[in-house]
Amino acid sequence: MKKKFPLLLVLILGIIGIIPYYLPHSAVQNADNFLRNDFLRIISTFAIVLGLGSLMKVHYDKIRRHRANFQYSYVLIISFAITSIIGLFGGVEGDLFLPTRIGSFQFDLQTLYTNIIVPLGSTMFALLAFFMASASYRAFRARSLESSLLLGAAFIIMIGVLPLGDKISPHLPSFAQWIMDIPNVASKRGISFGIALGAVATSLKIILGIERSWLGGGK
Amino acid sequence: MKLLDYLTKLDRRVIYLILAIVVILPLVFPSTQKVRVMTPVQRLFNTVEMIPDEKILIIDFDYDPQTQPELEPMAIALLRHAFKRRIKMAALSLYVQPLGLAKLAMDQVIEEFNSEATTTADSIIYGKDYVFLGWQPPPIIPLLGMGISISDVYKTDYYGYKTDSLPMMKNVKNFNDVGLLISISGASAPLWWITYSQTKYGVAVGAGVTAVSASDFYAYFQTGQFSGLMIGMKGGAEYEELIETELKIQQRRKASEALGSLTAAHITIIIFIIIGNVGYFVRRRK
Repeated sequence: MKKKFPLLLVLILGIIGIIPYYLPHSAVQNADNFLRNDFLRIISTFAIVLGLGSLMKVHYDKIRRHRANFQYSYVLIISFAITSIIGLFGGVEGDLFLPTRIGSFQFDLQTLYTNIIVPLGSTMFALLAFFMASASYRAFRARSLESSLLLGAAFIIMIGVLPLGDKISPHLPSFAQWIMDIPNVASKRGISFGIALGAVATSLKIILGIERSWLGGGK
Repeated sequence: MKLLDYLTKLDRRVIYLILAIVVILPLVFPSTQKVRVMTPVQRLFNTVEMIPDEKILIIDFDYDPQTQPELEPMAIALLRHAFKRRIKMAALSLYVQPLGLAKLAMDQVIEEFNSEATTTADSIIYGKDYVFLGWQPPPIIPLLGMGISISDVYKTDYYGYKTDSLPMMKNVKNFNDVGLLISISGASAPLWWITYSQTKYGVAVGAGVTAVSASDFYAYFQTGQFSGLMIGMKGGAEYEELIETELKIQQRRKASEALGSLTAAHITIIIFIIIGNVGYFVRRRK
């Protein structure tokens, strides 16, 4: 039962998800709309709570067992608790009953987001540029015809998308655009077809209960 | 030969330092770069221009702090365009993270317009000229549900007002009342709007995406599924160019200013790659 019930649920709901695409009858469409708008909304709310609960459990266990880098789990749990309290009782812009301002020091959710999450996120992503520059210097070599073509295309695109490309030659941006429009799209279409067919096959396997790894439980 | 040896064995910290300098200097001393407007951006601009009075524009703000520098200028340029032409606009996000950034962008542009307004009629007013629908998880609910009823999906807006009660939304029921939906995203959100919303309800979709993910979107632009496309910093700069020349909006152009930094970074990386390859071939000959 522990295995059969989830499999049955996936089979029924999977078919329910497919039917509205083939039956435009209003009864089917209304039922689909109800399931998505009300039923799915409730399930996703539970999923958020479950996800957060699971996150807390993992980090609590990490601290309790003193696993590697457990100190960072303190940061996560404390940050989570503080932002939750401020968000739930202070509101996004300090519009609820918990005071979110001491003198000129403001700590409502929007302020925290703008001043902590935004710079941290941008910094992490900006580091990529440095790693990419270093990696391309060390690894991007014209070792074969294929890699030479790749290198040439990369140079044309890199210069063609800049105003400088237009100054070198008005044909350069058009050529860069051609590379993106024709060879790039041709290969992307091939990949997309492969992915789409793979997704259909995997979905069918899950709906029909052939693929069961999502149930967990290892062997 | 010693110089070549040195250049081909550069310490990575030297590379980081050189790159930091070439990226930072053009940002410290910004200059607006003129760009040639390419077809994908021109088409997006034209589609926004052609939105009928009775229909609205939806902007899906789906960028996070990581992609904000590249995508926010696009959002700001679009907002300036919509408010200048008095196109009614609804904003939303498919994820929770971009909400704060969407609000920042809207607040900035509304302040620009309202600081120059002399009467209430000139001002951009919440509920009348624009609404912020907020976030409704999971994404599949707005992607499909808005084709039937927008106010059923977003029962209340970002600020907690009942969506039905907002004057702008009185005549807006579903995707039939949407002239164009533009998804600005660092991930694959624009493709979802095509896969689900456009395929089922026929809504016109445009997109603003990062340069690194651009190759994923060209196929859909070629087939006409995207009404227009802004790609990377240059896409944003092209849109800024259009709203300045066509609509006479004179405001700070962040994407155009950043192109100097981008140009310097690209050239530096190209030089590093060339040096690395020269060293590789010289050593191989030996």
